Amino acid sequence: MTWRDAIALAARSVGRKLGRAVLTVLAVGLAAALLSSLLIASTAAQRRVLDQVSDGGPLAGIQVAPAEPDPGALDSDNPPRGDPRPIDDNALREIAALPNVDAVVPIVANPAIVVPPPDPLPGADPRRRDLTRAGTFEPYFDTVVGVDIAQADDLPIAIIAGRLPLAGAPEAAVSSGYLRRLGIDKGQADEVVGTEIVVGAPRGFVDGDDVYVRGRWVRLLVVGVVAQELGSGQVLVPLGEAQAARRWSTAGVETERFDIPESPYTGLFVVAHGLDRVPAVRQAITDVGYSTSAPETLIESVQRYLRVVEIVLAGIGVIALAIAALGITNAMLAAVRERRREIGVLKALGASNRDVRRIFLVEAGTLGFLGGIVGTVVGYGAAQLLAGVVNGYLRSQRLETVQLGLPLLLVVAVVVGSTVLALVAGTVPAQRAARLPARQAMGDR
Amino acid sequence: MTGLEPAITVHDLGHAYETSAGRITVLDRVTCTVLAGQIVAVMGPSGAGKSTLLCVLGGLEPPQSGSVTVVGRDLRLLSSDQLAAYRRETVGFVFQDFALLGQLTALENVELALTLGRVRRGRRDRAKELLAAVGLAHRFDHRPHALSGGENQRVAIARALANSPELILADEPTGNLDAGSTGAILDLLTGLPRDHGCTLVIVTHDPVVAARADRVLLLADGRIAA
Repeated sequence: MTWRDAIALAARSVGRKLGRAVLTVLAVGLAAALLSSLLIASTAAQRRVLDQVSDGGPLAGIQVAPAEPDPGALDSDNPPRGDPRPIDDNALREIAALPNVDAVVPIVANPAIVVPPPDPLPGADPRRRDLTRAGTFEPYFDTVVGVDIAQADDLPIAIIAGRLPLAGAPEAAVSSGYLRRLGIDKGQADEVVGTEIVVGAPRGFVDGDDVYVRGRWVRLLVVGVVAQELGSGQVLVPLGEAQAARRWSTAGVETERFDIPESPYTGLFVVAHGLDRVPAVRQAITDVGYSTSAPETLIESVQRYLRVVEIVLAGIGVIALAIAALGITNAMLAAVRERRREIGVLKALGASNRDVRRIFLVEAGTLGFLGGIVGTVVGYGAAQLLAGVVNGYLRSQRLETVQLGLPLLLVVAVVVGSTVLALVAGTVPAQRAARLPARQAMGDR
Repeated sequence: MTGLEPAITVHDLGHAYETSAGRITVLDRVTCTVLAGQIVAVMGPSGAGKSTLLCVLGGLEPPQSGSVTVVGRDLRLLSSDQLAAYRRETVGFVFQDFALLGQLTALENVELALTLGRVRRGRRDRAKELLAAVGLAHRFDHRPHALSGGENQRVAIARALANSPELILADEPTGNLDAGSTGAILDLLTGLPRDHGCTLVIVTHDPVVAARADRVLLLADGRIAA
């Protein structure tokens, strides 16, 4: 008897005791649902926590500062920096060529005078009016940060409204710090998108004995809001715009009113080829002569903790599946008891012990397979329901919500796992059926 | 119509069951020969060993002592798998209560025997042919509960013939049938040796059935009385 024939026959047998089959499938389905919903929720929570720890960037991200490494604190996530050391194009190329480096994103920061829209935006908290004078916002000194927008995915930036500015366009994204300055809540970040800000790069001029400051003013359309600040800047612009501002500022004379970074690049964000390669890459960058920082130790600790949580949750699901498997064993043993005559007849017709075992194993596997599918669907629904409740709470706390995914690997693992477990559960009944004497064909005489 | 070659040779066959009341001997040194193509009726009172003899001849149980040779195969020497192969290749069973699978249609019941007989292609056509041959061309898609007793027994006979067996073993094949159906089923069964060249052994209590046989074996207390 081929597997195909066994499946066809098993499908008929499963359908015969439909009520029992449905209940058994539901038992497996509920257990699989528990397992899959726990894993979906834990995966989402893990992603959320790690996003938080890594500021939304790659877990294997390393920040390179324009400073020499402090030889006494190389093993720390965030060691103190040594003496200043400019990062130029040669250093960038050298670091990019290091082994296990996936990407290097240069960052350019320049001091700026930021002029926000004069009138308070809708939704602005009136208690923050202390930042205004005569009902309008004042210009303030800040920093514009420029990055290569094409490499933005490699940066620890999470967009909470709108989008990132386009390279070459007079556009900017602002940080949540900018929202706070304007008295606007994160939940109302959309209000800022579409407004205009004026940003001036300062330059010192000598006029006699005095030093004056003049600005290179640009009007930028705010197209998005990001959750974090890169460096200390609240305005994120394309790299070219920041470099143009820096060229303007460095062409002037030094003044105490603002500080122009000496380094052409105020930092690099290096992405290693995996979290486990971060120490080696950090060491290599240290050898090149730059100070680095990365939350690798923190991330590893969090990952270890989350792994434990995941194992515990998976354990709960597996226990539920094991209980369901006992249900399958029980149902199959009942089926064997009830079908002794039928098994005898199959043997009288020429079925070998192997054929009978195969038929019952396929029956068990079918129940597990169906239960796995039901469980995955129900589990995803349950996880969505849970996420809805959790997100409602997070929204009420003005926090970012979690997004659930349904990884294909999880679906395959739950369905295959349920099927395999059912096959294991069906082994004893199938063996018992196979061992029934062919004489059962004559009845219990 | 019989051949000269023996289809079944039974020599000193003994069989006993262990029960809580002790050992019960159901077949005691049974010896007989059935020629190929013969119709043999096995009669006797309840407990005489008729069904056990049928089980041993059909390979449902291995002989405990003595020897049983069916169309050249010594059943004592066959392993479990070989006995299964013997059952599907050499023997066709017809049971008193038909023993059809309730969840399958008439066609599927016949097809099942072909499936278990390792027939890979043309199963459906062969099953239709067999059902048509027993007069059930109009009942292909009916399940056993939708068929009369006589029709169910016809399906069972078609199923027994599926793998062209050399030996048909029928256990009280008319025991559950009314008088009208009994005659028709007997005609069908007793025509099998002629039409299919097989040997037919029928266990029965019914003298009418026995009267249609070429030979009657009378079992009493596990022995052949006549």
